[in-house]
Amino acid sequence: MRVSPIRKLLADRGAVFGERAGVEIPLRFSGADKEYSAVRDAAGLCDFSFMTRCRVPEDGLDVLEQYACGSVANIRFGRVLHTMAVNDDGMLESDVYIANDDENLIMLCESLIDDEAATAVLEGMGASKEGLEDMSESTAVFGLDGLNAWAIARDLFGTDVLGLPYLSIENYELDDVEIKLIRGGKTSEFGYLFIVPVRQAAAIWERIEKAGEPHGLVPVGTEAHSMLRLDGRFFNIYEEGARVSDPLPLGLQWMIDFDGDDFRGKAAILERRTKGLENKIIGVTPSDPGGVLEIGDEIAHRGETVAKVVAATYSPTLKKRIGLALFELPYAYSGLTLEGVDGLLIETISMPPFMPRSLGVKLDEM
Amino acid sequence: MDLELEKTIEARAAVLRTIKEDLITRLNLAYEPDDLHEDISLLGSGLGLDSLDALEVILGIEHSFGVKIADDNIGILRSINTIADYVMAEKGKNEEVQS
Repeated sequence: MRVSPIRKLLADRGAVFGERAGVEIPLRFSGADKEYSAVRDAAGLCDFSFMTRCRVPEDGLDVLEQYACGSVANIRFGRVLHTMAVNDDGMLESDVYIANDDENLIMLCESLIDDEAATAVLEGMGASKEGLEDMSESTAVFGLDGLNAWAIARDLFGTDVLGLPYLSIENYELDDVEIKLIRGGKTSEFGYLFIVPVRQAAAIWERIEKAGEPHGLVPVGTEAHSMLRLDGRFFNIYEEGARVSDPLPLGLQWMIDFDGDDFRGKAAILERRTKGLENKIIGVTPSDPGGVLEIGDEIAHRGETVAKVVAATYSPTLKKRIGLALFELPYAYSGLTLEGVDGLLIETISMPPFMPRSLGVKLDEM
Repeated sequence: MDLELEKTIEARAAVLRTIKEDLITRLNLAYEPDDLHEDISLLGSGLGLDSLDALEVILGIEHSFGVKIADDNIGILRSINTIADYVMAEKGKNEEVQS
């Protein structure tokens, strides 16, 4: 199993570890609810080194065009494409960021398949010949997210960093260490991904922690991130992605370049798109704020099942449980009241269900 | 499906269809209406609209539905569904006033 290059440091901070697709992940530190609130109210630092990552020279972009569903050739210098990769059947395999970083394209993946399987897929597309370099062992990736994340980034790199648009990449030096900084994130608060050389990874983590002290930064794990993604309505490949698998009912068409060059699995996706949707995911919550909602729960109308819950969590912001359910298409609308388990009423809701506070912060006025 | 639920769905589907068609036309999106999930994020992730796009969307909503959107009410642009919520609530208020 691949482990984080800063595993010892994370363990010293109290990390409880788990495993996903053959890679060890930090599940939690002080507890998911507390960590969730830290991100919504202040900031959280998470080790994202579980992501697989690689670098491809600009003239070897063919391999990434075959691999990813988005328009890789059209990524402008300094920008990042959020897309995905699917298997031959057009079913989800990875949630993908591809960054155009000067003469290289850098790809970061959250994958349902392990490193070995991902490498085999890329090798089948001629990765070695195109100069693809695996960065999973030579770098670490940290995610800094939260209402105050921008202030920590500013204190580390200067005010220029505030001008970074969402989904962009820039190179910075921090204590003589070269860092690739991506403005991104999947929490609906401010977010930055730090790609750092593995030898200085622990020192950079501690440097971010120190800069974050006055801004309420705490270490956070993947459990809090799953909660943040769900009530921020960011796609989570490890939750609804793993359970539904087909990107079309998940509403991920925006990640796909239907009109561009062929990519792996495109024919299967196009065939299903032509056939038309039969299901779609919609946000759900119990009418009673104290009501339960669990993965696998069935939702019915007049006693007939019309949906099944595929992701669920408690939302500290909404103070109730919230989820996503895969609905039969005629019922896939928000604003309905349906039947849950044990006579509980379930409401379908519009997502994202609240306005994140970060959206009200104007960085250009700082 | 009972009649009341069917009516609720029909009313919402009509609003959603108009919003989607307006988005595709005004922003020249290379998608069909069925490709746009109603919860797709309009700002930042998802469609990634910039401030000019957002203004275009607001103009479209105001024109199509005869509702006004205040400058500080950018929160309704979180997704197509949140726009539909706003439009349906505003239409509901207008109908109350007229009756």
